Amino acid sequence: MRQAFDIYRRLLGVQIRSQLQYRVSFSFDLFSAILVTATEFAALALVFERFEQIGGWTLGEVAFLFGLLEISFGIMDMVFGGFDPQDFGASVRHGSFDQIMLRPAHLLTQVLGSQFALRRLGRIVFGAGVLLFAVTVTQLDWTLAKVLYLPLVVTGMVLFFGGLYIVGSTITFWTVESIEAINILTYGGSYLISYPMHIYQNWLRRIFTYLVPAIFLNYYPVLYFLDKPDPFGFPAFAPFLSPLVGVASFVAALAFWRFGVKHYQSTGS
Amino acid sequence: MLSIVHVSKLEKTFHVRRYHQGRWASLQNLVTRRSRLIRAVDGIDFTIEAGELVGYLGPNGAGKSTTIKMLTGLLVPSSGRLIVNGFVPWKDRRHYVARIGAVFGQRTTLWWDLPVIESFELHRHLYQIPTGRFKRNLAEFNDLLELAPFLDVPVRSLSLGQRMRADICAALLHDPELLFFDEPTIGLDVVAKERIRNFIRHINEERETTVLLTTHDIADVQRLCRRVMIIDRGKLIFDGELARLLERFGGHHRLIVDFAESYAEVAVIGAELLSYSDQRAIYRFDRRKITAPALIQAVSERYAIRDLSIEEPDIETTIRTIYEKRLL
Repeated sequence: MRQAFDIYRRLLGVQIRSQLQYRVSFSFDLFSAILVTATEFAALALVFERFEQIGGWTLGEVAFLFGLLEISFGIMDMVFGGFDPQDFGASVRHGSFDQIMLRPAHLLTQVLGSQFALRRLGRIVFGAGVLLFAVTVTQLDWTLAKVLYLPLVVTGMVLFFGGLYIVGSTITFWTVESIEAINILTYGGSYLISYPMHIYQNWLRRIFTYLVPAIFLNYYPVLYFLDKPDPFGFPAFAPFLSPLVGVASFVAALAFWRFGVKHYQSTGS
Repeated sequence: MLSIVHVSKLEKTFHVRRYHQGRWASLQNLVTRRSRLIRAVDGIDFTIEAGELVGYLGPNGAGKSTTIKMLTGLLVPSSGRLIVNGFVPWKDRRHYVARIGAVFGQRTTLWWDLPVIESFELHRHLYQIPTGRFKRNLAEFNDLLELAPFLDVPVRSLSLGQRMRADICAALLHDPELLFFDEPTIGLDVVAKERIRNFIRHINEERETTVLLTTHDIADVQRLCRRVMIIDRGKLIFDGELARLLERFGGHHRLIVDFAESYAEVAVIGAELLSYSDQRAIYRFDRRKITAPALIQAVSERYAIRDLSIEEPDIETTIRTIYEKRLL
């Protein structure tokens, strides 16, 4: 375990040094990452310019959802970049994954250490800015519990979406044709939960409650942070399920990953 | 001697998907899945003793890569037994790969944007090589492979030959007992090829590292391997000394004679006349049937000879004939 961590740290060092070699390209990437997120947020703000509220929520309140998601997704994309299904699929096809299997270190450590896109910092920093804006305009009532819970909510989302990345990558052991389906879940899901979930049709919200419990990742915790009533009457612990949902989906994803590696060893893709 | 590789009744079969053809093909492909069973490796047996240097040959698609992938633990056999260095390769991947080295000519294990020396340093940590041994090995390989001029150059800027040398060094820093080379000289120029061959010979002779080498370059085999194995259509069709292979299948030597005078007819018993013009005759003969001195004597008894030479059978032609005609 200690060795795995030491290897991971060194592999990350490689990734970071490699990216800093290309300073111009790195600054440009960082800048465009900020621009993309900023544009998305501007589009959201424009809607409020016209309607003032979405489903009874103000811009500041929705910005809380948006900021929290951007921070989490950005961290996830940075940490789990090696499992981005597109890139991972390519590494399987080009044989780089075989090279990883030939080294005496855990596969997970090595795949995680094969990519660490620093440019995602742009998204994370902008997300933090949006969150700060949200906290200010909603005049959030901080308690110690809220301060302590906030990082756990981020962790829950990082693990959940990281798990989806791993599942998508594992699928590429069988086929590269089907990864779009998982991408819809990853990107569509993250877009969906950056809005208040009660604005959606019942069927859609039920899917993201019972089938994919993403409603507990962001929406319920934010209800708690903003001291808003629960419109769906779930038990009082519902806002605190976020880390649990994250850990559970991550563990399931890892089990699927191990199964996928076994399959890969029996077919060579 | 100790056997380091045991392979018995090794098989690997794949289901290869068959696609429909014709007008409704894409629809049919969506609804049904038909597959065909391919026997990539079809029951092969061999053992390799510690310290051997074995050439593993075969035409493309014969099952070479599949065998190497099973030996290196990347693939699980469909059936049969496979024990390498005391391990079942795929079962205990991390411990097994820590003691083997593998170089795939077409791929690199090095980090693209990193100076070569830093990739080596990473290997030191990945393989947990003690610092002293790491330094000794690096110094030795540096001498033999002349890595010094490009140790500080990022891998992306290396020439193919340099990259190959760096990759070979990386595969050996942890003192593996067994080395797999897959096309180590592919795409290299003559000088670079020679340097790599010398190095492979050195580690086999001096360090007694067991080497299994697959290649399409017959010169690699000729310069390095005493023993060759040939696989075709998943079956091992030859396993033995290179000399014996040539004896059995490339038995034809050629005798080239320049006569002092013009003769109308120069045939001799025991050899086949391949061509005759401008007072030069080329005979083909089988050394198992007639020795070179006997043939030369037979020719010189009847004709006046100005000059003569004997050509050894060409191994490349021999092996090509084996592949093409499926002689074995």
